[in-house]
Parts: sequence; C-alpha cells; structure tokens
Amino acid sequence: MASITLRDLSKRFDSLIAVNRLSLEIQEGELITLLGPSGCGKTTTLRMIGGFETPNDGEIYFGERPVTWLQPELRNIGIVFQNYALFPHMTVYENIAFGLEMRKEPPAKTRERVSAILHKVQLAGLERRYPHQLSGGQQQRVALARALVVNPAVLLLDEPLANLDAKLREEMRFYIRGLQREFGITTIYVTHDQSEAMVLADRIALMKDGRLQQLGSAEDIYRRPSNAWVAEFIGLSNFIRGTAAGRDGGSLTVRTPAGIFACAGDSPAGDVIICVRPESLHFGGTHANRIPVVVRERVFLGNLLDYQVDGPGGLRLRVQADPSRIFAPGTPVDLSFSPADAWVVRGSDG
Amino acid sequence: MAGVDATVVATPSGTGARRFPWIAFLIFPTVIFLAVFFLIPYANMVYMSFLVKPETGAYIKQFTLGNYARALRDPFYWKVLKDTFWYALLTTGITLVLGYPLAYHIARVPKRWRGWLLVLLISPLLVSIIVRSFGWMILLGKVGIINTLVRRYGGPELHLMYNAVGVVIGLVHVYLPFMALSIAGALQTISPDIERAARSLGASPWHAFWRITWRLSLPGVFAGTLLVFVLAISSYVIPILLGANNVLVMPMVIVQMLLDAFNWPLGSALSMILFGFTVALLWFYVKLMNRALRWSIR
Amino acid sequence: MEHSVAAVARPLARPRRGGWGLGVTVALLYVFLLAPIVIVILSAFNAGDYLRFPPQGFSLRWFVRFTQSPSFVRAFEFSLHLAVYVTLASTVLGTMAALFTIRHARRIRDALRLLLVAPLQFPAILTGIALLIFFYATGISTRGMRPLFIGHTLVTTPYVFLTVSTVLVNFDRSLEEAARSLGAGPITTFRRITLPIIKGGVISGALFAFITSFDQFPISLLLISVGNTTLPIALFDYLRFSYEPTASAVSTVSVALSVLIVIVIQRLVGLESIYWGGPR
Repeated sequence: MASITLRDLSKRFDSLIAVNRLSLEIQEGELITLLGPSGCGKTTTLRMIGGFETPNDGEIYFGERPVTWLQPELRNIGIVFQNYALFPHMTVYENIAFGLEMRKEPPAKTRERVSAILHKVQLAGLERRYPHQLSGGQQQRVALARALVVNPAVLLLDEPLANLDAKLREEMRFYIRGLQREFGITTIYVTHDQSEAMVLADRIALMKDGRLQQLGSAEDIYRRPSNAWVAEFIGLSNFIRGTAAGRDGGSLTVRTPAGIFACAGDSPAGDVIICVRPESLHFGGTHANRIPVVVRERVFLGNLLDYQVDGPGGLRLRVQADPSRIFAPGTPVDLSFSPADAWVVRGSDG
Repeated sequence: MAGVDATVVATPSGTGARRFPWIAFLIFPTVIFLAVFFLIPYANMVYMSFLVKPETGAYIKQFTLGNYARALRDPFYWKVLKDTFWYALLTTGITLVLGYPLAYHIARVPKRWRGWLLVLLISPLLVSIIVRSFGWMILLGKVGIINTLVRRYGGPELHLMYNAVGVVIGLVHVYLPFMALSIAGALQTISPDIERAARSLGASPWHAFWRITWRLSLPGVFAGTLLVFVLAISSYVIPILLGANNVLVMPMVIVQMLLDAFNWPLGSALSMILFGFTVALLWFYVKLMNRALRWSIR
Repeated sequence: MEHSVAAVARPLARPRRGGWGLGVTVALLYVFLLAPIVIVILSAFNAGDYLRFPPQGFSLRWFVRFTQSPSFVRAFEFSLHLAVYVTLASTVLGTMAALFTIRHARRIRDALRLLLVAPLQFPAILTGIALLIFFYATGISTRGMRPLFIGHTLVTTPYVFLTVSTVLVNFDRSLEEAARSLGAGPITTFRRITLPIIKGGVISGALFAFITSFDQFPISLLLISVGNTTLPIALFDYLRFSYEPTASAVSTVSVALSVLIVIVIQRLVGLESIYWGGPR
C-alpha cells in the first residue's frame, strides 16, 4: 500500500488543456473519488496515474517512489475499466491468474490465490466460464478480482459501475466500499455521479476544466462549498446574490435585494453569493433570517414536497419540506433559515 | 480517449517523451513494396505512352505524342471505347436492378441466416473467373444446356454465346455480388424502425421504401455503381471468353497491342486513354451523386 | 428485433404478397449466381464425352484425366506453391501495415489507407501491363515465379490489410491497458492479448489472399513466362481450343478449394464482421 502524491500535474491534447496543474495528496489506504462533469480531466488524471498517458508537466509519486515516467507494468497497480476489459479469449480463471502469471507465481500458489479471491467476490465455481457467458454484475466482480488478486499498491477504478442498471449499481457501491476497506488499498475512483461519490469516498476531489475545485469529505463539500459552481454541482442549492457588509459577532452580514442576512463563511468583502440548500429553508420557524415569499408551484416527491417560491427583488427559490404542512400555490408565507445554513461564497467566479 | 498509444516508454525528460518512432518500421516494408512495384510501374506506363515504337523491339526512348494522336484520331478506337462504355453501363444498370433485392433481403433477414447467405453471395467471387466463364459456356452455348432444353420443347436456337448477350450475362454474373454487398452494407445501417415509422405516419409500403429507404441507401448504391462500372469497363476475361472475336472491348485491344503487336507505347497510350476516360466519367458521376446525397440526407 | 420483409409488408390483415415476391426473386437470383458453378461441377462427374444435358451417368474419369495430364498437374502444383508464398508475404505485409495504420498513424492514416487499397481499385489487367513493362524496362527477370509472386502479392496484400484493419478498428484498447496494468510489457501484451484476438482477421485475410492468388488471372496472363503456367491460365488456354469435361474436373477441384476456405472463414470469424465490421 502506498500513498499517492500528484504535484502540479498537467496534460495537454493539442490545444486543449485536460489537466491543469493538479496537486493532490492521497493517504495510504484512502478511497478518494475524482468527481466532476465530463471533460473535467478526471479520467485523464487517472490514466496518468496508471501510466497510460504521459504528463506534460508535474510529477507523480507512489509513496517515496517517483513513477511519472514509469511503464504501467512496473507500477504495481490494479485497474478496473468501465467496460471491465476482461480478456474475451480467456476463462475467468485465466483472466484472474494473468497478473500472477506476469509476476511468475508458481502454479500451485496461483491456484490458491485465485480460488481465494473468487470466494471473496462470491464467484466460486465459475472458473471455467468465459466472460461472454457472465452477467454484467459478474463480469464486474471478475474485473475487481483480477485487479485485487495481485495485491497492487494502488487501485484505480474508472466509472466501473456506469454500465450496470440502477439497482445493481447501488448494491455494488457498498460492495466495492467493503472490499476496499478490507484490503486497505489506496484507491482512486473516477465518477460523474455525485451520489456515488458521496457514498463511497473518504474524500472527494471535485474537478472542473482540469482544475481541482475542492477537496474534502462529502459533508465538507456539501455544507461548505468553496464556490458557487461546487454548490451547484453537489446537491441542489439556492443562490442569493449580495454584498458582504462586515462581520457581526460570529456571522457575516450580507446585504441583498431580498433583505439583510446573517451568514456563515469566511469569504472576503465584496460581491458574494449566499448558498442555501432547499431543505434548509423552513416555512415559518424561528431562525434569524427571514424572507417573505409567495408559493408558485408545488410537486409531490413522495417523502418530500418540492416548492418553487417567489421572493422580493425577483428572487426565485426552491424549498423542500416534509409533507406535514402543505401550501397551495399563491399562498404568501414566511421562510426562515439559520445563519449556519447560509454559506457564503465569492460572487465573481464559479 | 487520447490518441497516444499504450506503449509508453520511461524517459527522464521534462515535457513529454519524444520517443523515436521505431514503430514506423512496421509500415516501411509494405509502403516500399507498393511504391516500387505499384506506383513506379504505373508512372512508367505513363512515360511509356510518350515513347516511340520502332520497327523491331517494343519501344525506344524517344519522346512523341504520336501514340495519343494515332489513338484519338482513329475511329476504330473510338468505337471500341464507346462499346466498352456501353457494356459497362448496361452491366451496372442490370446489376443495380438485380442487386438491390438481393441486398434488401440479406439486410433484413434474421441474423442466423445472414452469415450463410453471405457465404452464398460471396462464394462465386472466390471461384476463378475462368471457371465461371466456363460454366456460362456450358449453359449458353449452341449445344449448351439452355439451348438443349429450349429445342426439346420446340423453341428456336438461341444465340447466347460469343456475342454481346453472353458477355453482358457474364459481366452481370461476376459483378452482381459486388453491387449487392455495397448496397447491403448501407441498408444494414438503416433500422427497420424507420420504415415502420413512415408506415405509421400513413405511407404505403412502396412509398415508404422509395422516399425513405431508397434515399437512405443511396450511399451504398453510389458506391456499388461506381465499383461495378470501373470493374466492368476494365474487364478482360469475360469478353474474350464469352464474346470471342465478335465482341471487342478496350482491354482486349490493349492486350493484343501489347502481346501480339508488341507495340508497348501505343498499348500504354490506349491504357491511359481508357483510364482517363473512366476517371473523367467517375468525376462527373461523383459530383452528381454528391449533389443528390446532399438534398436526400445531409 | 429482426423481422423479415414479410412482416414489415404485412400490417394486421393484409395478405403476405409483398414478402413472397421478394423471397422468390431472391431465390432465383441466387440460382443465377450459383448456376454456372454448379453446372461445371456437375459436368465434371458426367460420364459422357460432351457437355450434354441431361447427364449421361456418373463417372470420375475426368478427374483421372486431370491427374494424368502433366500440364494440368504441373500448373496445379505451380499455382499452389505460388499461392503459399504469396499468402505468407501478403499476410505479413498486410498485417504490419494494418497495425501501423490503425494504431499509430494519425495524420497520414487516410493517405496510407488509400495507398494500401489502391491495387484493388485499379483494373488488374492494367496493373499486369504496367508490371510487365516495368520488369522489362528495369531488367528484372521475367522468368520463373518471381514476377508472378510480385504481381500477386500486390493484389492480395490489400485484402489482408482490410480484414486485419476491420478487426483492429473494433479492438478494445482497454484490454491491452488491462494487461499492462497487470504486469505485461508491450511485447507480451501483443503476443498474449492482441494477437489472439485479431487472429481471426489475420487468418481470414490470409485465406482471401490464398484464393485470390490461386484464382488470379489477368496479372498471371501478362507475367507468365515460358515453361510456367498457373492453373487458371492452363484452363484458359485449354478452353479456347477444346471443350472437354477435363476442364470441368480441374475447375471442380479449384472450386472445392475455395468453398472449403470460405467455410473455414465463416466459422472462424463470420463474414459479416469482415464486410460490415463489428463482432458476429
């Protein structure tokens, strides 16, 4: 097991900058997800870590060992691809044994280790099958087994669950998480699905346009987004634009067309945006910040009601509340939210 | 994914490895082979067409435009060229009409049968053209099978061999699979759902076919007609076996010129003329087709 | 969902006429395509002297005649040897070219493709003529197998190139990356992963090359020299002057060879994948 350090990593394809001076420290045994929209550079980063792309700039270390230019076969990695990449002309056994064969394991030992891992992924007895004879979920597990059996220093997963149906995907998330914890391998998991990232990761590295936007636990990112784009990418958020007007006690005062609010956050002065999650806006209530609004639309989501409301100064907000009270469209009502839920980010860039 | 191949080599340089493309050696032998034995001979043939034919020997290295002058001024060669053109055109037209149903069928047939139908379609291609012509000789000859059957039932003697009829039958037979395969390739990409959608909107089967499927298959039709025309216009074996001395096409004239008259400069010039003629025709055809394709689909 | 044309042409209550017509037409067309070949094969077994219909009994005498004819037998062996050499050469050249063109060339890929397929686009007879003149002009010997070898390889390599290219285009690079991640170097990866997977394309290309060379006519016509004939040329000469079923026997053997090869290709790789790309 090794920690992974990326230092100022950059990659260009012709005129497109895919990864832009990315620096990241991943702890030993940690599962970190690279999350972001398509084209943000997460897959390119993963491929550079795996050795399938050469960076234009920067360095990669596994622990103390520089691997920036090292061939993939010498990096001792395990990788699981979105399409599993199982060798179609080999049986399940041969697929999994391949890595061990490359490491010149004696056949008896190989047989032992392959059996053990097949048991672990609950595919014992399928040794002689060919990949095309397996279901998607089974192929996925063979791919995992193949990557794990060699005890790699680093495990790389490139949207491994993208080709599975929703239910299976959810099950496999927990499964992969469990396996990873058990083996304790430093793991990098690429995904564009934020709920997946939040379930799996110790920490999330959120990327956009080749740059790191925020690094932190799921809760960190959700509650304290570093900018408006992050706030919008993760979960739903309302945005209220305003100007910072000094601190008062523990909170930041922000002037907006909809009122003056007490907020949280360590943003500097100037133009700012207040991010409030729909579930943090309460009908009535006793919180410090209040906004009078009129309900415009209401949608029943089962466990929640989703409201669109209009506030002062042309402000449009989205509120999610439990179904214990129902407000009809056209009803004027007061919303309140606490300063702790009013997170302020810089207003100018996204 | 990125365009860089997977053979990353470790190098200690700073800004991305600049490795020597050893891999280029993969292509050198083939390219050199083609350059030496394909490009150069053709270039040489062009050169040859401008040389002089002496009394004895094949050619001497003296520049002249005489070969072209002689060829282009002689009505005999124009007639041969015209005949060759008509054979090719007729063959192309007939293979199109016959090939389309074949292609449609193969593209729409359940997957299980498709492989074997393809075998059926392609196997004639893998039989020597001599053998196929021989088969036609047996079928079409004066005492051949067709005539024997027809005469038994009191019909007249049919002259199907050693004339234009035999040649066209032979040509169509040889090039039909090419046409069918081209069209089938295009039809494959057209989902049957498109026809069904048209039908659901009220189109009759014929209408749905003509307005939708036919239009969408035009690229395949285009490729097929192009291919068959080029092949037919340069065909040598069929005309000579099935037409004997009653049918004269340009390739036959050229071979005669080269091997019998030993006049290489004129033979080369005639080849160039045939080639140039074909290319010019194709150029117009391509232009026409591009325009047709532009309104149909793009 | 695959539906025959009959299903498409038949909404709820209308009769099947539309589908029927196509089926019959197509059947007739296949008969047309195969008739001459079938006739030749049948006539090879005809006991009678002339190519008459109806056949006059079953006999293998024409095959015996074939084996007793030194010129045919020699031509057969010559064609076979030539085809083997040509197949080896074009398989190597074509596969290497395909590997480079599909995987490594980027800017020159289209130009390369054009060049590598060009020998197929030019009429074989013209290519034969150009080669003959070229050999004469450069003093390259026109004796023996060499000129034929060159001419045949020229027109067979494109087939190998095409079949291998098709397989390569659809080849999933992540398979190689997976192998690399597991510890296999580039050469091992090629040997254990790439080659086994593309071998269908390589083999079918080789088989196409073999048949093409064996049956090749126009180029052979121009490049043969005294004392050497290929089987198609021998047949051609024979047919211009006689009309005996020995020719049928010779042809039948030729055809049997081709059919065998096509069936092998179909089983191995599936013809659809070669023509239309994608797995079977």
